[in-house]
Amino acid sequence: MRTQAIDWAAIAPPTALALGALLVLVVDTFAGPPRSRRAALVPATLTVLTVVVAAGLAARLWHAPHRTFCVVRPLQGPAPCSFVVDRFTLVFWGVALFGTAVVALLGTVAVADGRTPLGEWNFLLLSSATGAVTIAAARDLVTLVVALEVVSLPAFAMTGLRRGDRRAAEASVKFFLVSVISTAVMLMGVSLVYGATGSVFLDRIDAALAAGGVVRQVAVVGTLLTVVGLAFKVAAVPFHMWVPDTYVGAPVAVAAYLSVVSKAAGFVGLMLVLTVGLGAFADVWAPVMAVLAALTMTVGNVLALRQQHAIRLLAWSSVAQAGYILVPFGAAASSARVVGASMGYLAIYAFVNLGAFAVAAVVGTRYPRQRLTDYRGLVRDEPGAGWALAFALVALAGLPPGVVGLMAKVVVFDAAAGPATWLAVVMAVNVAIGLVYYARWLAELFRPSVTEGGSRYDVPNGVAVAIGMTFTAGVVFSVFPGWLLDPVLGVLG
Amino acid sequence: MSAWLLNGLVAVPLAFAVLTWLLARREAAAVGLAVLGGLVTLGWSVAAVLTKGPDVDVPWIAQLGVRWHLGLDGISGPLVLMSTLVVALCLVSLVRHDPGCGGRAGLAALLLLIEAGVLGSFLALDMVLFFAFFEVALIPMWFVINGWGEPHDETGRRRAATRFLIFTVLGSALMLVGFMIVRSQAGTFDIVQIAASYRPSGAAGVTAAVLVGLGLAVKTPLWPLHIWLPDAHSKAPTVGSVVLAAVLLKLGTYGFVRFWMPVTDPGWRLLAPFVAGLAVVGIVYAALACLAQTELKRLIAYSSVGHMGFVVLAVATFTLGGVQAAVYASVAHGLITGLLFFLAGAIKDRYGTGDLARLSVLYGKVPRLAGLFAFGAMASLGLPGLAGFWGEMLAIRSAVYPSSGLPAPTYTVLAVVAAFGVILTSAYFLALMRGMLQGAPAAVRPVNEDVPSIELATREVAPGTTEAGALRRDVDVMEWVTWGPLVALTLLLGVAPGLLLGPVSEAARAFFGGLR
Repeated sequence: MRTQAIDWAAIAPPTALALGALLVLVVDTFAGPPRSRRAALVPATLTVLTVVVAAGLAARLWHAPHRTFCVVRPLQGPAPCSFVVDRFTLVFWGVALFGTAVVALLGTVAVADGRTPLGEWNFLLLSSATGAVTIAAARDLVTLVVALEVVSLPAFAMTGLRRGDRRAAEASVKFFLVSVISTAVMLMGVSLVYGATGSVFLDRIDAALAAGGVVRQVAVVGTLLTVVGLAFKVAAVPFHMWVPDTYVGAPVAVAAYLSVVSKAAGFVGLMLVLTVGLGAFADVWAPVMAVLAALTMTVGNVLALRQQHAIRLLAWSSVAQAGYILVPFGAAASSARVVGASMGYLAIYAFVNLGAFAVAAVVGTRYPRQRLTDYRGLVRDEPGAGWALAFALVALAGLPPGVVGLMAKVVVFDAAAGPATWLAVVMAVNVAIGLVYYARWLAELFRPSVTEGGSRYDVPNGVAVAIGMTFTAGVVFSVFPGWLLDPVLGVLG
Repeated sequence: MSAWLLNGLVAVPLAFAVLTWLLARREAAAVGLAVLGGLVTLGWSVAAVLTKGPDVDVPWIAQLGVRWHLGLDGISGPLVLMSTLVVALCLVSLVRHDPGCGGRAGLAALLLLIEAGVLGSFLALDMVLFFAFFEVALIPMWFVINGWGEPHDETGRRRAATRFLIFTVLGSALMLVGFMIVRSQAGTFDIVQIAASYRPSGAAGVTAAVLVGLGLAVKTPLWPLHIWLPDAHSKAPTVGSVVLAAVLLKLGTYGFVRFWMPVTDPGWRLLAPFVAGLAVVGIVYAALACLAQTELKRLIAYSSVGHMGFVVLAVATFTLGGVQAAVYASVAHGLITGLLFFLAGAIKDRYGTGDLARLSVLYGKVPRLAGLFAFGAMASLGLPGLAGFWGEMLAIRSAVYPSSGLPAPTYTVLAVVAAFGVILTSAYFLALMRGMLQGAPAAVRPVNEDVPSIELATREVAPGTTEAGALRRDVDVMEWVTWGPLVALTLLLGVAPGLLLGPVSEAARAFFGGLR
C-alpha cells in the first residue's frame, strides 16, 4: 500500500507560520512579563521575522504549481489534491503576509497601554495567519472550512484579549456568535453540495456539475447556503450586523486585521468555491452575488455618511468596499475575470485600508474616543501620519493622487461594464456617495489645529514602520500601478 | 525630444506645485516660485505646440491594456495654450492679491496641481489615462473652494465644494463605465484607434455613448446637470472661479469633442438631437436665469452655462464646422469668462459685495475697471470683432448644416432658438452694464448709511481720503499685467479667427477621418 507523499516545500510557508507562533509563545513564557518597552517589542519582532521567512519560502514556489495531499488511488481520472500552491495562491499569500506583518507592527501600540499580553496576542495573530494562508491553497471543501475556522477562532480571542476592557469582551462574544452561526450555515451548504455531487474536491464538484445528472435543487440550495456562510465572513449586507460593534470594541490593530486579512480569507473562500467548484452554477450564484454587491456597497456607504466615530466610519467603509469586491462576482462573465478583478481590488484595498487603520491606531493613543474632530490639524501636527492618512482616504475614495485606488475601481468597472452594466452604474453612484464621508474626514485633517505646538503624538516605532510600509506601497503603486496589477491580472486573467 | 516636451507639460507644474508647497513657510518666495512655475509651463506649452512630434505611447498597465499615450494636435493645442496662460495669470494675480484664509502659497500650489491634471487630460489619448487626469484636478479644486472660498460663509462654501466634488465624481464614474463598455466593444482604450475604426452599434454602443455623454455633461455643464456650478462659482475665491470657468469646464467640452464624438454614431435618430436640444434649452434657460440674478459671480456663472450650450450644440452636429466652433468657442469662453471673473473678483474686493442691487455707477468711480468690464461683457455677448462672436456664430451655422444622418429640420429649429438665446444674452449683459456700470445714483437710489458702496455711489469722495481708500483704487499695474493678455487675445482672435480655425480643422480631419 502506497502512503501519501507530502510536498514539504508546498506546505513550508503555513508550517513556518505555525512554528513561529509556537516560538513566540514559548519565548514569551520563558521571558516573563516585559521589563522595558524595548523588551515588549520582542513578540512583534518575532512575528514579523516569521512572516518574512514564510514569504521567502513562498517566493520559491512561484515558478511551478505545487500539489500535495492528493488522493492516493483515485477511482477514476487524475488524482484530486487538497492543497495546491499555484500563482493564485501565491498572490493571495503576498496580501495576507503583508497584512499580517503590518498588523503585528500595529499591535505594538498596545505596549504603552500595558493591558494586552503581547506574547499571546502575537501567537494568536500568527495562528490566524496560518489559517489565512492555508485557505488560499485549499482545494477541497473540508480543508477550506477548517482553514476558515483557523482564521476565525484566534481572532475571537484577539478581539477580547485586552484586560479589563468590557467593550472588547462584548465585541468578541458578538463576533464569536455570528461566526459560529455562519460556519454552521456554511457546513450545511457544504454537506448538501457533497451530497449532490459525491465529492468534496472542488475540481470533482465542478466536473460533476458540468456533466449533469446531479439533483439540481439540492445543489442549488447547497450553493446558496455556502454563499451565505461566506457572506458572513466578508460582511456582505445583510450579514454585516456584527461589523461596526466588533470593530469599535476591538483594539484598532485587531479591527485592521479583521477588515483586511480575515475578510480577504473570506473572499478567497468565495473565489475558490464559486469559480473553481461551482463555476458551472454561475447562472445561479451570479445574480445573487450581484444583488449582494449592490446592497452591500449602498448600505455601507449610506450608513457611513452619518458616522462621527473614526473606527465606526472605517467599519462601514470596509463594508462598502467589500461590496465593490463582490461586483465582479455579480458580473461573472468568465471565471478568470472574476478572480483577477476581485483579487486586484483586494490587494490594493488591503494596504490602503491598513494605512488608514495604522494612523487611526496612532491617533487612538491620544484620543481613545476616536471622534473625527480629533483628527483636526493632523497634517500640520504630525505630517507623517497626516499625509499617510490623507493618501489612504483619497485612495479609498478612488481619486488621484491615490491613483492606485482609482485603478482598483477601473479594474472592477472593467469586469462589470458590459455583462452587468446596471451594477457598474450602481457602483458609480456609490463611489460618489462614498466620497462625501472620505472628503469630510479629509477636510478635518487639513483644518488648522485647535492647539498650538508641534508633535503631540508618541508614535511607537513599530507603528511608524507600519505607516511607512503602507504609505510607500501606496505611492509607488500609484506612480506605477502596473507593478502591482500586471502580475495580479496577468496571473489571474 | 518630443516625448520629453509632452511628459514635461504634466511634470513641470507638478514639480513646481511640490516645491511651492515645501516652501510654504516663506510665503513671498513660494508665490514667486509658483509664478515662475506658471510662466515656465506657459513657455513649455508654447514650445510643445510649436514642435510637432510623435506621440508618447508606452504601456502603463499592460494587463488592462492601459497605455501612457500623450499627444498634442490642433484640437488640444489651443486649449493647452489657453489653460497655461490663464493659470499663469492667476498665479501672477496672487502676487499682489491675498485671498486670506489659508495663505497664498498653498493656493498657488493647488493651482499648479490643477494645471498638471488639466494638461494631462488635454494630452491624454487613452480613455483610462484621460479619466485619471480628469480626476487629478478634483481634490485640489475642492480644497480651493473649501479652504479659500467666501470668507464669511464657512458652511456655504463647504457645501458648495462638496457638491462640486460629488457631482463631478458621479459624472466621471459614469463616464468610466461608458469607457469600459466601449473597450469591450472596440477592444482598445486608445481613442485614436477608436476614432479611426470603431463603429458604435447595438444596445451596448448606445449605453456607452449615453454614459460617456452623461459624465461629460456634468462637467461641461449641460442643462439640467449644471446645478453645482453657480454655487461653486459664487463661493470660490477669484482665482478659483477663473480656473473653474476658463479651464476646468473645458475638460467637459474637450471631452465631448475628443471622447464622445468617436463613440457616438450620428446615425442614431435620437441621441445627438436630444443632446443638441438640451444644449439649446441650456442656452435659453441660462439667459433667463441671468436676467433674474442679483449676484455678479452667479450671473457670470450662469452665462457660462449658456456659452457651454453653444459648444455642445456645435459638437452635436457632428460636422467639421461643429468641431471648429466647439474648440473656438471653448478657447474664447476661457479668455472672456476668465477676464470677467477676474473683474468680478476685483469689484467684489473693492466694494465687499457682489450684490447687483448695491453696485452702481462704476463708470464714475473706477472708470478703467468699468471700461474693462464693459469690454468683457461685449465680448461675451458676441460683439463681432471680438472672440466671442465667432464661437457662437459658427455654432449656429453648424447647427443649420448638421451631419447628413441627422434630422436637418430639427436642427434648424434649434439653431433659430439658439439665435434667440444670443439676443437674450445681449439683453442681460446690457441690463447688467446699465445697472452696474452706469446710472444716476442720487436720483435713483436713496442714501443708506449702512451700505458703504451706496454711500460711495451717492456722494463725492475726495481723492486721498480714507474713504476713497487704497482698496477703492482703479486698475493698478499688476492688474493690467494680469488682464492685459486676456484682453489682447480676445481682440486678436476676434479679428483673426483663422489663426485658430485652420489648425483645428486640419487636426479634426486627421483625427476623425471621414468628417465633413
